Amino acid sequence: MDALLTTTGLFKRFGGVVAASGVSLSLRPGEIRGLIGPNGAGKTTLVNLITGIYGPSGGDIRFRGESLVGLAPHQIARRGLLRSFQVCRLFGNLSVAENLLVADLARGAHAFAETRQRAARARELLDITNLARLADQPAKALSGGQRALLQVACGFMVPELRCYVLDEPFAGINPVIKDAIVELIRQANEQRGIAFLIVSHEMPVMRRLCHGVSVLMDGHIVSEGTLDEVAAHPQVIAAYLGKSWA
Amino acid sequence: MPARLTGHAGALRDAAFALPVVLLLAAMPLVTGAYLLHVLTITLYYVILAASWNLLAGYTGQFSLAQQSFAAVGAYGSGLLIKYFAFPLWASIPCGVVAAALLGWLLGRMVLRMHTIYLAIATWAFAETIHIVLTAAYQITRGELGLSVPALYSNVRPEAYYYTFLGLASASLLLMHLLIRSPLGYFMRAIRDDELRAESMGIDTTRVKVMVFTLSSAFAGLAGAFYAHYTIVLSPQMADFGEMAKLIIMVVVGGLGSFMGPLIGAPPVQIAMTYLARYGEWDMVIFALIVIVLMRTTIGGIVPLAGRAWSRLRPRRGTA
Repeated sequence: MDALLTTTGLFKRFGGVVAASGVSLSLRPGEIRGLIGPNGAGKTTLVNLITGIYGPSGGDIRFRGESLVGLAPHQIARRGLLRSFQVCRLFGNLSVAENLLVADLARGAHAFAETRQRAARARELLDITNLARLADQPAKALSGGQRALLQVACGFMVPELRCYVLDEPFAGINPVIKDAIVELIRQANEQRGIAFLIVSHEMPVMRRLCHGVSVLMDGHIVSEGTLDEVAAHPQVIAAYLGKSWA
Repeated sequence: MPARLTGHAGALRDAAFALPVVLLLAAMPLVTGAYLLHVLTITLYYVILAASWNLLAGYTGQFSLAQQSFAAVGAYGSGLLIKYFAFPLWASIPCGVVAAALLGWLLGRMVLRMHTIYLAIATWAFAETIHIVLTAAYQITRGELGLSVPALYSNVRPEAYYYTFLGLASASLLLMHLLIRSPLGYFMRAIRDDELRAESMGIDTTRVKVMVFTLSSAFAGLAGAFYAHYTIVLSPQMADFGEMAKLIIMVVVGGLGSFMGPLIGAPPVQIAMTYLARYGEWDMVIFALIVIVLMRTTIGGIVPLAGRAWSRLRPRRGTA
């Protein structure tokens, strides 16, 4: 099967610091891929490169056969590749419902007239996420977990979504909301065939969700496979437990 | 269905508020004298100007300090076309508006990647440039001597001008209201809250910001062009930073980022400033202190304060 998203020899330098050093990664349509690695490995830099926040210093990123290099983040989003942020970002003064509506309107002018479909999608997501009773509340009034849930849910308002890059979606939230996010991801993957690239340190959740895992260290991929396979890799053991364990 | 998914509840509430206010204002000439009517006419000019700045600063988070310049461009644009090219009024006023909009577009393009203090400084420098050009190019603009322009009407009855400005303000505010409730309005508020998130969701933030700069400048230019043909003598004072400070005070007193803010804030500030003018610059000192208090506390202006009071009262009414 043709890859949905590929990065080839992706390179990013910030002054003297090399944050991505030839990252090559491939994601199939409908695949849920985990991206793990120690702090400072370059995971968020990779997410920022894929989604156009940073321009690469070298290499290529292709999505559905088209190069994303040089495109602005909004152009990448409109091609069906969305992201969430590690530090939760929402439109705080907009209500919960309006956050969902904006995600849909942002698809472009063709979406403006789809009022009924938009309201139906928002209502469905509000019910699934159990945020319906808070729909008219400003997003800044939500708890940390609810904010994380809403941030992820916003992406599912977009019918053209093909690949969702989630940066630490489970960090610092309680098990109930964690399960709700896992359920959202699983449903979207099974029912809509959406592919996910999930950056996380939550190994039990990654084990439940991911078809495969890539390990990023010092700006490049050192191992790929199932979670058990990569956990046996000496470099991964050394990175997580120290060199004496490897 | 939550009200925010349909938007009907907010639109009805706003219409229910606007209609009696417009009717009350329309009845003002019946109960006021010529001087107060003049003060109210000038107030309506400031309402349009303050509301146009609120689109930019309050709704989109672009803290520009050049709004008064666009009013001056609209005014001088219309006046100079009449003086040098004998344009008729019906053509010179739209040309003034287009000139302001084009300049707004240009400024929007120039400050695209600027935020916070950098944006404020760049727009302030732009406004000062306009002010200096209007003053220094006195061979063309007559500088501080003042540029005489024809009046809008051949008679000098204040009622005619009052109703003109009331119509102009009502139409401008209606258009702004429609804009805020449109998808563009949602994008503006999204950019204000988190530009990076907005961009990552698919919003072309560059395009939205330039559009808002252009539209906001067009509204200011429209107000300025009509103001020119009401006051009939133009001075570069119109582009002075003091005018911008006045707009900021009006919007902040009313409530930055709320539609009703400039409408509620502009009249008391303008009326008070008119009557405090006999004490020189002290009026600005008094209002500057009010702004500092509003910024230091979480009051946030008259409209947000009233909103919070209303939401506290509502449950009590329900349980009574």
